[in-house]
Amino acid sequence: MRRRREREDPRDVIRGKLGTFRDLLAQNNRVLELIASAEEKLGGEYIFDRQYLSTLAGDLERAVRDTVFDLNAITDDRYRELEDAFERARTAVQAVVEGRLVAPEGEYVVPLEELDEGHAELAGEKLSRLAGLARWLSCPVPPGFVVTTWACQRFLQRAGIDRGAEWVGEAPDVEELERRSRALVRQVMDAALPKDIARAIRKAARRLAREGHARVAVRSSALGEDGADSFAGQYRSLLGVSTSDVVDAWREVVASMYSVEVMRYRLGRGLHPTRGLMAVGVMGTVPARTSGVAYSLDPARPEREVLLVSAAWGLGKTVVEGIGAADRYEVSREPPHPVVSSVVGRKEELFTLAEERGIHRVAVPAGQRDRPCLTEAELAEIAALLLRIERHARCAQDVEWAVDGQGQLVLLQARPLAVQSSPADRALPETLGKYPVLMRDRGVVACRGIGAGTVCIVDDPAALTSLPVDPVLVARVSTPRLSALVAGAAAVITDVGTPTGHLATIAREHRVPTIVDAGEATTILENGAEVTVDTEENVVYRGLVRELLRHRLLQGDRFEETQEFHVLRGILRRAAPLNLKDPGAAAFAPSGCVTYHDIIRFAHEKAVAHFAEGFRFRPSASSHVRRLLLDIPLDLVLVDVGGGLAPRGAGSEVDLDEVRSVPLRALLQGLTGEGVWATEPADMDLDGFMSSATRSAALTQMTVTPNVAIISEDYLNLSLHLGYHFNVVDCYLGDVRNDNYIYFRFAGGVTEMTRRSRRVELLRLVLEANDFVVESAGDLIYGRIKKIPREVMDVRLKMVGRLIGFTRQLDVLLRGDSLVERYARKFLDQEDGVPPPPGEGEEK
Amino acid sequence: MSTAEVLVLDDEEIVCDRVKEHLEKKGFRVETFTQSTKALSRLGEKRFDVVVTDLKMSGPTGLDVLRHVQEHSPATEVIIITAYASIEVANEAEIVGAFGFVCKPFQLEEVHKLVKAAAKKAMKQR
Repeated sequence: MRRRREREDPRDVIRGKLGTFRDLLAQNNRVLELIASAEEKLGGEYIFDRQYLSTLAGDLERAVRDTVFDLNAITDDRYRELEDAFERARTAVQAVVEGRLVAPEGEYVVPLEELDEGHAELAGEKLSRLAGLARWLSCPVPPGFVVTTWACQRFLQRAGIDRGAEWVGEAPDVEELERRSRALVRQVMDAALPKDIARAIRKAARRLAREGHARVAVRSSALGEDGADSFAGQYRSLLGVSTSDVVDAWREVVASMYSVEVMRYRLGRGLHPTRGLMAVGVMGTVPARTSGVAYSLDPARPEREVLLVSAAWGLGKTVVEGIGAADRYEVSREPPHPVVSSVVGRKEELFTLAEERGIHRVAVPAGQRDRPCLTEAELAEIAALLLRIERHARCAQDVEWAVDGQGQLVLLQARPLAVQSSPADRALPETLGKYPVLMRDRGVVACRGIGAGTVCIVDDPAALTSLPVDPVLVARVSTPRLSALVAGAAAVITDVGTPTGHLATIAREHRVPTIVDAGEATTILENGAEVTVDTEENVVYRGLVRELLRHRLLQGDRFEETQEFHVLRGILRRAAPLNLKDPGAAAFAPSGCVTYHDIIRFAHEKAVAHFAEGFRFRPSASSHVRRLLLDIPLDLVLVDVGGGLAPRGAGSEVDLDEVRSVPLRALLQGLTGEGVWATEPADMDLDGFMSSATRSAALTQMTVTPNVAIISEDYLNLSLHLGYHFNVVDCYLGDVRNDNYIYFRFAGGVTEMTRRSRRVELLRLVLEANDFVVESAGDLIYGRIKKIPREVMDVRLKMVGRLIGFTRQLDVLLRGDSLVERYARKFLDQEDGVPPPPGEGEEK
Repeated sequence: MSTAEVLVLDDEEIVCDRVKEHLEKKGFRVETFTQSTKALSRLGEKRFDVVVTDLKMSGPTGLDVLRHVQEHSPATEVIIITAYASIEVANEAEIVGAFGFVCKPFQLEEVHKLVKAAAKKAMKQR
């Protein structure tokens, strides 16, 4: 029998790989949908449990693993390294699900002014909260820096202390636990400190000394401290430390994680005794005349509507540790905050800085012992500050403060105050009915909560020249300018938008009550009016509804302090951010993939690139890979996997007439329509030009994946790289309505983030007007529409073609927020998107 | 109308806490349990208008609780909470007479609307 060598038809290979590619796309979309859906759960509207979290983590893991598998199947195992990246990301997500603490990779030392509440994993809850108050409310706080949890984790790992901590945690009884604890603390104090960490701390300390802060406070800010479990006073904090001793002080604070007291506390709260991570704050010591603690409510009798203030001369140790007599004040919560009652203690001693290092106790001069250590004006100032913090944090507060020799009030620490409440307190006040309702059940709640303040219509630039104290931001659409203001807002309402949009994500990150898609909020609400926004009930009241604001303070357990909330946020922080944006950058590699989103982005890019290479056949030698000749300057390679092109002979190029792929023909009809593809360069202003010029120079240096359309008679997968834009259209157009879909994705751009974000909003308006379901994150936007009839698909695809041409240079033109809607309207009115006369609607 | 009494049973504390918080805000009186044996014993002591129970738990399950209520307190309405993966079992629950069911993760308002309707029905039957 004669053996015949069978050669596989390249077209069969392509078809097989196309099946895998479509699976890769399906998994890719699944990951993005899972992330978007999980994002929504952070708003507080949903109840979810640990089961949901582990299911979510499992679903994400499977979809990303399949994506990696598919990529390697398509590319004959060219990207096995991506499996390592997947394993790293999976381990990080799994650590969160299992409640293990893992520090995010970052700097060892970060200045306080560069942080806010979003950095709790790097700086601990306590310091990130303090930094957030300084950033968003301009609260006066001491200058300083944070030695991060990342530094702590590296130190513990390199010195082998993390393994020792596990050993301590496995102690069979409390006596053994205590013995092991003492050994571990000694080990931390004696371990060699990595030079890079010591260098970073010393450098930052010297800078602080040069700025006039030679003596500092070194404060603990452990992961979880002041969160769901308060850990009040459990960890070491050192006062009056000389900047030359900061490294040792840092080590001492880190070691306090393993003290017998902390372990007992942790065991009592059902926590693992030794699994912790410590960030440490190093802040200039306030030369305090008077220090103390203040509560924004009486925790035992919140109905009394007073603030409680305890104060003593000198540094705060006297009051914080309760080791000396103090003055006690009750101050009205109502402005101008008169003193309701006061008990002036006999203050014999005070704490002050010792000569060289540390603090010591000295006698209070006889004439001052029985004198109140705060004036009424200072008490009112403390009350006003405390209530501002309470409004921002949306719960009762416990703060430490100091007043220096010049009478300047400084905030040292703020944390939630546990307040006793009864079921009656937690029931909605019956008196709410007397307040006029301005809006009810309009739009979708993106973040639950209650906030009150002054309406500020953001679309009117004049309204932004001076923001009111507690702005209720109201806007037609979500814009970058609005997003930048969210953290300091009392509430946010937009006329259009989705709970999965960028604005909603930021609002949830900062826990700002937010309603999107409210229809006519900008018409109903008046600029400058006082309103109360209750997104728990989706109602906006005219005026300040005091009962509701009080109800907010007494609500009991807060969703954002639950373990489940932290785990979900932790999963998303490790799954959702996109770091790999530029396919031409060196970091666009498996080693640069940090999150699941990075991995699927990389896999998609490389899968498309592989098809573009024509499976290593030269286009001229392969009948299924051709270059498309168009009247517009678009270099497009077609990969036909069956029925996408008319049968023909040799030749590496095809005309539009030879394209048989129904979806590609429809899209090209839109894209090549008259005036859609502007041949003249877009009119650029200087900023846009500089940004574009800089990035275009970089562009010429890089290898760019060509534009590729993988086609069959009824299928199209189009990947376009137009400058720095990355555009994907995936679509099936057949006779069975239920199988039809269009998936549209757009990211990147040549201009700065503000303009790219404007473009995202414009795309959202256009796509939503065309019935797409749209989601976005940063400058990435994706929309999908499915199960629509053939003739409607045809219309939508032509629109997508026009949109691609229209948006090509659009971000350069979007100079002001107000232009977003105008251009969207122009597009929807089927005009050509000619820019309006210069100067109109521009931001200066 | 007097205040409706609701018993919430779920082995996940967060579900109990958040449902309680939301229903109390709406004026219901709520008791929560994370162990079904304790909830069953409480049901023996006190009559509730509505029982909201998880389906899958160690020990007696949500269906056991449903049967117990139907036998001993027929005027009480039962709402079953399920993980979305066990919707088919939830259908079975509906067949045997639960007032309704919600799938996790669920929105606070979803459970409130169901409890409100169930309480109305239960209080009529008192």
